[in-house]
Amino acid sequence: MPPDEALLSARGVAKSYGSVVALRSADLTVRAGESHALLGANGAGKSTFVKILTGVISRDAGTITVAGEPVELQSPADGYGKGIAAVFQDPALVPDLTVEQNLKLTGTDVAAVRARLADLGLGGLSLAERVRDIPLPFQRMLDLVRALVHRPRLLVLDEITAALPADLATLVFDVMARHTAAGGSVLFISHRLEEVVEHCARCTVFRDGRDVASFEPRPGSEQRIVRSMLGETVGHLAEETAGARRATAVPADRPPRLVVEHLSAGRSLRDVSFAVRPGEVLGVAALEGQGQDVLFAVLAGEQPARSGRILVDGEELTPRHPATAIHRGVVLVPSDRSVALLPQRSIRENIALPSRARVSRWGPINRRRENRRVGEAVERLAIDTRAAAQARRLSGGNQQKLTIGRWLAEGFSTLLLFDPTRGIDIGTKRQIYGLVRDLADEGAAVVLYTSELREIELVCDRTVVLYRGEVVAELPADAGEEAILSAAHGFVAQPEEVR
Amino acid sequence: MTATTVPPPTPRLVRFRQDHGWTVGVGLLLVAMVALRAAQIPSFGGFELRSLTAGTLMLALLAMAQGVVVISGGINLAVGALMVLANCVSAFLMEGQPLAACLLIAAGTVVAIALLSAAMGWIVVVSGLPDIVVTLALHFVFVGLALVVLGGPGGGTAPEFSQLIVGGFSNPWPALAWLVAIYGLIWVPFRRSRAGIALYAIGSDRQAAFLAGVVVRRARITAYLLSGVFAGFGGVATTALLGSGSPEESIALGALLSSVAAVVLGGVALSGGVGDLLGPVLAAFALTLIPAILLSLGVDSNMAVLLEGAIIIVLVMLGALLETRRRRE
Repeated sequence: MPPDEALLSARGVAKSYGSVVALRSADLTVRAGESHALLGANGAGKSTFVKILTGVISRDAGTITVAGEPVELQSPADGYGKGIAAVFQDPALVPDLTVEQNLKLTGTDVAAVRARLADLGLGGLSLAERVRDIPLPFQRMLDLVRALVHRPRLLVLDEITAALPADLATLVFDVMARHTAAGGSVLFISHRLEEVVEHCARCTVFRDGRDVASFEPRPGSEQRIVRSMLGETVGHLAEETAGARRATAVPADRPPRLVVEHLSAGRSLRDVSFAVRPGEVLGVAALEGQGQDVLFAVLAGEQPARSGRILVDGEELTPRHPATAIHRGVVLVPSDRSVALLPQRSIRENIALPSRARVSRWGPINRRRENRRVGEAVERLAIDTRAAAQARRLSGGNQQKLTIGRWLAEGFSTLLLFDPTRGIDIGTKRQIYGLVRDLADEGAAVVLYTSELREIELVCDRTVVLYRGEVVAELPADAGEEAILSAAHGFVAQPEEVR
Repeated sequence: MTATTVPPPTPRLVRFRQDHGWTVGVGLLLVAMVALRAAQIPSFGGFELRSLTAGTLMLALLAMAQGVVVISGGINLAVGALMVLANCVSAFLMEGQPLAACLLIAAGTVVAIALLSAAMGWIVVVSGLPDIVVTLALHFVFVGLALVVLGGPGGGTAPEFSQLIVGGFSNPWPALAWLVAIYGLIWVPFRRSRAGIALYAIGSDRQAAFLAGVVVRRARITAYLLSGVFAGFGGVATTALLGSGSPEESIALGALLSSVAAVVLGGVALSGGVGDLLGPVLAAFALTLIPAILLSLGVDSNMAVLLEGAIIIVLVMLGALLETRRRRE
């Protein structure tokens, strides 16, 4: 095959889930012998595209050809026969089986895997080990070796480097280089721009379910990549939600409400420090999987910290259980409403739940007082009460308002919002933004993680950027999406450039 | 290429303990119980041994029938009913038949029950309803079918057939031999096959198994098929032991509950993916011995039921405690 010919050619690939369009119409061409990066902000459709390409889900429209032949994968296992092997973002090694059993499951030659591992300097890995007992980075390497042993023409690596330390990441780039030198192709998905610039010959950027740019990344193209990811949507939402943001400065003299010092937890969160004052909304910006979920889980008392301290109003908080955090006024609104709500119970019961859960009050519930507090919360949030009997009948936006409302009735001093507007319509979003600002004005400290960067500018006063579990930048909210997104990709520009 | 520090392999002894620790524990418990029982009865011999092996054969098979579905991440609340149905169908057909015909009928019954169970698995997979709902509903259907077939306690079998399956006082070994044969010839090879690994895979992490190319639906149906094979054998063994069929819901229910107890005591995780069927089989023997030992100790028979339950709970909690401590290491 001539080297310039397309190995993989995808045209007009589309996918919708009900009324939600995940992928509008995406084209992608990967040439033989090329390592090709696929980029895009959260929700741009790249995961959907990769899932379609690898047979995890089916597509609604479009064609995919490999070396000119149409490909229709029914399941992830079909790929091997068509010359496609993938290392998925989600682990594809079954934890309770040994590595050998996992290889048998996919019909992979164990001897060939052993040889490849030895070749990579990983010969010491025992294949009789249960996957559960193998550290995650080495699981990813086993995933990679398994894919390689099937001798794919197209190797799909979805976020493989996200969980890897530097030495193993280097090993992956060596593998990529050797694979392309031998005429194979790589489709490389990564949030780390420096990796893309250094190791990929071409990149394609997805935005809003379409491919918007395809070019050769060179050192210095990071800004171009980021601009392609953002497109012309900047400011669009700002108009629609005008008025949500308030210009008043946070009084800097007030002592901080929530202080996080050198917090490390789980596998991913490392040495995170920040402080939030009452009346302030602190944004947390990060791409998927940079440790933000662990950060919020630790703050909310769902998960213990490994080291570091959390101070609330100067006093140390070591929550063993969410109830401890709630008692100290630190409350969480998760992005998944179904986790927080009792879907089959009424609005009233959902709002009253935290106060009922208080151990300190054993006696009968004071209905009148409860009614008043619930009524106030409902009115304030403008929750549509037509579906008052069961929370699950509410729209997503009203459900989210309900999860905020329960804390309103209960009272809190620090509000943790984890991507609160995911999948919510624009009108309700606006109400939630306004509500968050109001709560801050009334003296609450707010920590907001959002997957939509524009919300940082709209709602927050300041933002910290998490990258690989560490705070890589602290920026004013008006630093601009470009600066934030660059930092979130581990590309921290010089301070004077940022401002 | 630079050498990377690779995590050292888990020591053999540690891995053996992780993989087989629970089973060995249940095995030791069983040995202790048999020793205790032997000490209780001075003339421990063929009679006792035969009642133990023949009396446990059905429960051991049902524990396997339940265990295989639990390993795949599901549950089969119809195992008891399938066993009762197999018992009634075989007793109905075997009445007055010679040995050869009885053997053919037994084989046919096992196949039919296996297919019925696979069909149940198919309904679970296709309907998308929780397995607990589908199998509970079919529990009643299968007991109903057994009643339609036999109407009431009845049927029969050839005495030679009984001898062949469960033996007699002078020959206490056939039941054990059948159990070993079913375990060794069906389960052990299956467990090592790709389909067997797939069964563990879907129980451990269904998404990872799917990404690794396991056809999850097929693997789930396979679990129910195998469950039917074991339950079918259990029903035929009951026919051999009792020489008749009993279409009674209470028998199906009791067998079901005991099968779940044996699975849990046998170290199969109810969350799926972990454990082997040897543990539940050994646990079935232990569960059979507990009441006998208690009665011999002079415990009031009503009290014995309570104690039996308490012992099961304590044993399982003890095992879970050891398991948690191991995980922390």
